[in-house]
Amino acid sequence: MIRVAIVGGGIAGLSAAYFLARKGADVSVFEQKYLLYGASGRNSGGLTAQFVNEPLIKLALRSLELYDRIQTETGFNFLLRKDGYIKIADEKNEDALKNEVDFQKKAGVNVRIVDPDFVRNLFPDINTQTFTAAAYFADGGVVFPWPVIWGLAKGCRELGVKIYDYTPVRVEVKGNEVLGVRADSELHKADYVINAAGAWSNEISRQAGIELGNRVFREEICVTESLKPYLDPYILDVSTGVYISQSMRGEIVGGILGKEAEEVSVKSSLDFLTAYARRVTELVPKLRGMSILRQWAGAYDVGRNGMPVIGTTKVKGFIQLNGFGRNGMSLALAAGEGVAELVLKGKSRIVQPFNP
Amino acid sequence: MKDRKVVCRCEDLTEEEIIHAIELGYDDLESLKRFTGATTGPCQGKGCLMHIIRILSQKTGKSVDEIGVTTQRQPVNPVPLYILAAKKGDEK
Repeated sequence: MIRVAIVGGGIAGLSAAYFLARKGADVSVFEQKYLLYGASGRNSGGLTAQFVNEPLIKLALRSLELYDRIQTETGFNFLLRKDGYIKIADEKNEDALKNEVDFQKKAGVNVRIVDPDFVRNLFPDINTQTFTAAAYFADGGVVFPWPVIWGLAKGCRELGVKIYDYTPVRVEVKGNEVLGVRADSELHKADYVINAAGAWSNEISRQAGIELGNRVFREEICVTESLKPYLDPYILDVSTGVYISQSMRGEIVGGILGKEAEEVSVKSSLDFLTAYARRVTELVPKLRGMSILRQWAGAYDVGRNGMPVIGTTKVKGFIQLNGFGRNGMSLALAAGEGVAELVLKGKSRIVQPFNP
Repeated sequence: MKDRKVVCRCEDLTEEEIIHAIELGYDDLESLKRFTGATTGPCQGKGCLMHIIRILSQKTGKSVDEIGVTTQRQPVNPVPLYILAAKKGDEK
């Protein structure tokens, strides 16, 4: 039986664990904090396939299919709604958005350019003076990230996966081959070690003697008090980086696209809150009187060339599954499925383009 | 109904539901908070956090110190967006 140790209890690591266990592998997952700590529990749950290259689009479309399947298989409700994902742009960014949509259409994404009035029909409170065009992806939407992780973890446990939370590990390598991971003094032997540590992936990779060079980002989000459900799609303003959606609990969840950081940090700032408040009240003036209840930050990593890093390395048995940026929820389910295939069959078409 | 002990009014959670979550394995405060939604409603934990910690302590035998508290998130009290929009950030 193939033994696999996975470092990281987020969506990528748990997805890989789930698909490996389904095919009979002996899998353990090690998480240094609690499941979903770094990014999988701190994001806004936007699901889209509006990416700018084909391999990413394929991962995203496959992930959307897997959400439906895994909810059924695990008997867990992810509170997912496919009410659309909308990118809006001002005059300066309109051409780039249109080019992106042309490419995505050719790649099989159900996306189209719509005018501001179309967006206003979906969300009457939006200020149509703040943008000139929008890209509407009808099959995208919003998922609540927490139950995705709980559901995957439940599915994993039922398949016999051992999940160790609050368990930091060190990767152990002998010669040019992984031995497993060491937690405290105990060595958990494994044929494969999968680095799904998100923002901590550089550090885990270094333990295997591999310089990964992923860039680390910090992104901040906040929520308002709850309103009756009235904002169905996810809206991302590509001109300012501000995004908003409404959770199933009624909160308006919003943030600003993350910035590269010197080190991994999940600290919140007043700067974010004031910048967000200014931008979101221009975008949706009626939100002015709504109160912010809570703010937080998440940390994620982006591969050196801006792409995820997925595949085998020069150290036998050491596999990268990281660098998803802020799109882990959109991409990582299919990436986990692909990595399971890579481990068990030696190759996987869907993750091949992301080979380190 | 008189046995229904509500510990979190915002999320309408009873003591029984918290215990059920602990029995499912969500037996550390951060996971329990996220699984049940306790401390994430309008009161942000002001009304329920101590109850949750008490129940967790009674069920797991861990001391209150061992359990700790959840990360306290700004703002302390809800702040309207129009007030934040008029303010300068912390770096300026």
